Amino acid sequence: MSSLRILVSFKVTPDFEALREADWLAGAEADAAEGAAHSVETRYVRRVLNCFDESALEMALRLSEARAERGSATSLGALSVGGGETEPYLKTLLALGYERAARVEPEAALDFAPAVTAALIAGYVRRVDHSDLLLLGCRSGPGDSGTVPFLVAEALGWPCLTQVIEVEPLADDRVRVACLVDDGLLRVTLRLPCVLAVGNAVVSQLRVPTLTDRLARKNERIAVLSGADLGVDIAAEMRREPSVLTGLEAIDRARPGIIIGGATPREKAQVLFEEHLKTMIETL
Amino acid sequence: MPLSRESIVEGLQRIVGPEDVITDEHILVQSSVDNFRKLQNIFDVHTMPVPAAIVMARSTARVAEILRFADEHGVNVIPRTGATATEGGLESAAPDSVIIDGSAMNEILHIDAYNMQATAQCGVPLQVLEDRVRELGLTTGHSPQSKPVAHMGGLVATRSIGQFSTLYGGIEDMVVGLEAVFPGGQVTRIKNVPRRAAGPDIRHVVVGNEGALCFITEVTVKLFPYFPENNTFLGWTLKDMATGFAALRAVMVSGHKPSVARVYDPGDAGIHFSHFAAPDDCVLLFMAEGPAGIAKATAEGIAAVVAGFPECKPVESAYIETWFNDLCWDASKIIAEDERIRQTRNVNRTTEISADWSSINDIYQAAKARIIAEIPDITMMGGHSSHSYINGTNMYFNYFFNVVGVGPEEETDKYYLPIIGIICEETLKLGGSIVHHHGMGKARAPWVKDEYGSSYYILETLKHAFDPTGIMNKGTIIPK
Repeated sequence: MSSLRILVSFKVTPDFEALREADWLAGAEADAAEGAAHSVETRYVRRVLNCFDESALEMALRLSEARAERGSATSLGALSVGGGETEPYLKTLLALGYERAARVEPEAALDFAPAVTAALIAGYVRRVDHSDLLLLGCRSGPGDSGTVPFLVAEALGWPCLTQVIEVEPLADDRVRVACLVDDGLLRVTLRLPCVLAVGNAVVSQLRVPTLTDRLARKNERIAVLSGADLGVDIAAEMRREPSVLTGLEAIDRARPGIIIGGATPREKAQVLFEEHLKTMIETL
Repeated sequence: MPLSRESIVEGLQRIVGPEDVITDEHILVQSSVDNFRKLQNIFDVHTMPVPAAIVMARSTARVAEILRFADEHGVNVIPRTGATATEGGLESAAPDSVIIDGSAMNEILHIDAYNMQATAQCGVPLQVLEDRVRELGLTTGHSPQSKPVAHMGGLVATRSIGQFSTLYGGIEDMVVGLEAVFPGGQVTRIKNVPRRAAGPDIRHVVVGNEGALCFITEVTVKLFPYFPENNTFLGWTLKDMATGFAALRAVMVSGHKPSVARVYDPGDAGIHFSHFAAPDDCVLLFMAEGPAGIAKATAEGIAAVVAGFPECKPVESAYIETWFNDLCWDASKIIAEDERIRQTRNVNRTTEISADWSSINDIYQAAKARIIAEIPDITMMGGHSSHSYINGTNMYFNYFFNVVGVGPEEETDKYYLPIIGIICEETLKLGGSIVHHHGMGKARAPWVKDEYGSSYYILETLKHAFDPTGIMNKGTIIPK
């Protein structure tokens, strides 16, 4: 294998943390009053990189660097299924050393359409990118299904590992992958190609390019593709995925609290231990 | 002969008891810096002298005793409450310093809804006071981004300003009276009156002293009626800051009183507004508040003034309102930011200055151009104006850089201080002020004589008069 082609698929999402509870409920109530499907208005909050995808993007950069230290070449590509809001992120990735940047115009809201999203990603891998390794986040936020990585892997006929937290290079067509499993950490040596769904990795932040880096790749084009380019009839596929949001209700997260008394921090710590922690520790 | 660390600790323990003298090494090391050298805490690499102790101030009388002890033995003290300082004001610049921590003086002493004023001890978090007065339909009118974490004493000590300053003013316009303790243990109370002309306004000896003259133990601030239901937000995109400053000025001199008046340059707008602004867009925004008729008239008046700038394109107000509601920093955001820095070594810093309308755009353009040309590893250089006045405005430079090739402890010398230097030089060149609202701290103290000019005489005389032995926060405002 001359140069390993890594593709990272990422999603730009609304910053759900910037939504207030009232924003969630207002959308649901307004829609219910009109007898329509529910929706939540998210266009007024800023956009952010899906956190799992952000890990995947940084992991790919580090994998590329680690391979370079071993004398192996790597070519990085980034793909997003999304509109113009993804372009600033794609430009950032170019500035960081990604060689290929593309987006697929979704033509419809794909919030509850994992099969369509997966078909588009798989189509891009097969028809355009010819990648050897695909990384993507294992999920993308409220309302997601967490199935896109599996559906892409199935469409490509590749193995898929999920909850990936580390990737290390081995010989050219193999990688060593660490995944979180119920009982601990699973380390697997995989022969490429494969799909890696990134979970709660220690690496969670994407590095930042300098203004000089940005200037150097300012004029590079971002490829914009349609479903047709990738052999996917988005409208037809959407008709097969009739998932809609049927309701929203707030989860009461309030927990009872106790204010511990005592004249000094030592007294308070003593009360905390004797009355609240000691029994818990003993029963562990 | 200076006291040893052990003798300082023993002396403090005699005054306040051992429970209230903190000598845990890790806590002391972390307390040797504030957010000016925040990388030292994030990466746990420290270079500043480690304080001898942190002593908890639980009463005015106790503060007086501590300051008497410090004065008698020449011990440098650093007053502190919420510990959110950004300019090195809480750094222990001298060996064996003592931090006097007022965070346990956290009682709201009186809310006087008839006379529209509230009295709080220095360690009351602003958010706590604001929440309490909101229950009465009132507001302090003070809302810095640090509201959830900053305390009243520190806010007054650093001449804080809030997001609604264009209507309510800075903290200096809100403080009615206060209590402070000076070196030697002198307790002074400035009474709460609407106004007086009985000589100089001595509140301003205390407000903004940054712990370099006295320890503030109690403050009384004004209260205002709160009409959140009438808040109206307005926003526009535009292509250059010169137009943005001109539009801000036009609104400010037209007689309208927005509570928020801001213009963001493309770099800074990219962080906050990329979901509706193009990458090269500036964003101009306002908020009108008050009784229904006033809020409505203010919003309509502002819109009419901005309509005189056809290059400004209106955006839906919900964009501005949603953004504004998520603007304050809280503990979780601070932790997330620290983690981001730890992983990426990409650091966000800010420096705020002020100048008249004629100069502000020139200062902004010159400083920005020089920083991009002269400082390596810059990843974003931008800023916004967020506090406007009849005669000028501020510029809040907001910049990010990657720390490359040096350890975290060298970040200030390689990047931060040179950037501050450029901003100070360009500001002073055109007659602006090098500090708008974060305080001088130790970061900008080297420029104090240039900032004050011939009026430095007054500042220096104050320092000598109130702190003749030089024990109050050495190196802050006035360099060592």
